[in-house]
Amino acid sequence: MFRKSMISALSVAAITLGGVGSASASDCTVKLGAILPVSGPMGQVGERISATGQFAVDQFNEAGGVKGCDVKYVLRDTQGQSTIGVDAAKSLVDIEGVQALIGAVSSGVSLPVLTSVSVPSKITQVSCCSSSESFTALAKEGKTDGYWFRTYSTNRSQAAMGALLTANSGFKKTAVIYVNTDFGVGLAKRYAADIVKLGGSISSMVAYNESQQSYRAEVTTALQGDPDSLFLVAFPVDGSTLTREWLALGGTGNLIVNNSLRSSDYFEAVGSKHLQKLQGYDSAQPRIPSVANFNEMFEERFDGPPNGPGLHSVYDAVTVVLLAMEASDEITGENIRDNIRIVTAADGEEVYPGPEGIKRAKELLAAGKSIRYVGATGGLQFDQNGDVQAPKMTWKLVGDENVETGYFTTEEIADLIKKLDD
Amino acid sequence: MFLQHVADGLLSGAVIGLGAIGLSFTMKILRFANFSHSELLTWGAYFGLIFFTIAASLGNVFDAPIGPLSFGWGMFVALIFSAVATSALALLLHKLVFEKLNRVAGHMTMVFASFGVALLLRHMVLLIFGPNPIYYSNELQFAVLLPGNVRVLPDQVFLLGLTIIVVFGLHLFMTRSRTGIAMRGVSENPDLSRVAGVNVSSIINWVWIIGASLASVAGVLYGLTVQLRPELGFGLILPLFAAAILGGAGSLYGAVIGGLIVGLSENLSVMIIPTTYKPAVPFLLILAILYFRPEGLFGERK
Repeated sequence: MFRKSMISALSVAAITLGGVGSASASDCTVKLGAILPVSGPMGQVGERISATGQFAVDQFNEAGGVKGCDVKYVLRDTQGQSTIGVDAAKSLVDIEGVQALIGAVSSGVSLPVLTSVSVPSKITQVSCCSSSESFTALAKEGKTDGYWFRTYSTNRSQAAMGALLTANSGFKKTAVIYVNTDFGVGLAKRYAADIVKLGGSISSMVAYNESQQSYRAEVTTALQGDPDSLFLVAFPVDGSTLTREWLALGGTGNLIVNNSLRSSDYFEAVGSKHLQKLQGYDSAQPRIPSVANFNEMFEERFDGPPNGPGLHSVYDAVTVVLLAMEASDEITGENIRDNIRIVTAADGEEVYPGPEGIKRAKELLAAGKSIRYVGATGGLQFDQNGDVQAPKMTWKLVGDENVETGYFTTEEIADLIKKLDD
Repeated sequence: MFLQHVADGLLSGAVIGLGAIGLSFTMKILRFANFSHSELLTWGAYFGLIFFTIAASLGNVFDAPIGPLSFGWGMFVALIFSAVATSALALLLHKLVFEKLNRVAGHMTMVFASFGVALLLRHMVLLIFGPNPIYYSNELQFAVLLPGNVRVLPDQVFLLGLTIIVVFGLHLFMTRSRTGIAMRGVSENPDLSRVAGVNVSSIINWVWIIGASLASVAGVLYGLTVQLRPELGFGLILPLFAAAILGGAGSLYGAVIGGLIVGLSENLSVMIIPTTYKPAVPFLLILAILYFRPEGLFGERK
């Protein structure tokens, strides 16, 4: 009761003071562009990511929107293809006039969008999911002008986790099948280097092209040399085809898979009973209240837990951008870029996800204070290249259940990488 | 591993060969490159899914797997009904699009129309069945080990056997039946055949029926051994054309052998080149055959 009257009192105050209405009363809109693969080989993953992005926008609107204006989430499908992604981004920037882009999922799409749309048009781009190390290299060369951010940790830690899982399981001879994209090639190469340092070896490295009808030739090639395990870097649709053919042709059930395959679509298509020896890793969220809070809100909205790649990170990508817009005098790509640092300032006052948290964040920003958004992925700390570090978890299947088997803090991951890079 | 690649190549080549027969016939008899032919494989596979589901729901012998195979007798019901349904679809397309255009438009118009038809057919599958892969049976079938360390699925052995039977049956039809002989006549010279009293338009209907039926069998077999996807046919379009051109337009055995060559060379290529370049192999075959023997291996020199 008290809270309710507080809110109405505040909004009345807001209307009388600045003439800015609450969300429902606003007739202005602020657009946020999103380029995500809602169809194509990553459609199953992309659809959930997109819905979670919309959820973040809805919560921001519930808290009164950006500067009193409703935020409109303008989604364009990339189909997982770079040319379509670039066209989509161009149309969002040129026609819709968005100043910030969320996306894309694949590094192979995010990269051309960044270099040919975002940087030249001075648009801030925040990806939920692209983990290629090419972005870090590009940022170091000064070619991103700081417009690139991601709420997802890089390939480096994924390769290290895959290698650690393989070595800890005692596998000695591993075949690697990987998707022939910037992401897959980068990850597979790192993994191959890492596993040798942890005492394992590689029996074969086989790249595959996406959306092929059958992968028999690839699987047969990978089966050469009798590997005792398979490291599979794939997305659910092609990943199911590959795994089915791998198992059918007598491949081992000792699978180590990348995080994109932590998807019920994949488990169902292959059959959980064949995947009982499968292990995987994924980004984890720190065990802190803001994360639990997000998980609760997510469950309430979607009737299920936020299990799956990119869900936590897309929520934070959207929220950080909207907070940065709120902190800007004028909503331009350049201001958003600079203010992302203000809303994730290490010494800022902590704010949390959800309408209440966002309201508080807006009050603090209005008072000219810097804030530190601690969100669905925990406390975001972008380094100068726009990268973040995140804890990791490992998982496996028990029956149909996806069970967590281990948890690694950001520091533990950093130590592991240091050991591998020496 | 060489033998395994040979086995994989023969198995994928058999499907390509079956699909290419219809394409080869339309190219020769109807005289245009039908880019929508590969979509008939997709439709055949999905029709098969519908009839297989219905037949399997009858239970008993229709549902219970036959020996080591992953399916029951319902699959044969599905194969037959799917061939009928796909033929009906092909005849409908012929009546609505190709027959009308053939009277007024040139070959290029026909080719582009077939592109349009292909897009329409593919997206209708997407609309009805959704984008995700579907399997006739969600059970995973494990390969059996043959001498020479070759692993094949029982379903694939069935595939190869059925392909041989179908091709042999078609051979008998083309050489023994009046319709088959008339069809060969029309492919040689439609005007002369007409003068000789052959009903050309009914022969053309037969071409569509045979092409569509074989496409549907190929589609179902492909769905059985790999999976069903709306892009099933689209992904096979290049191998199909490669096989038809390689064998020579209008040649039954040419198409089959062309299919086997495409399948074998795709699978054997990965022993020399990286797997990522595998999809380029049919392109290279088309280029090579057009350069050295444009009429195809079994085609006649003009």
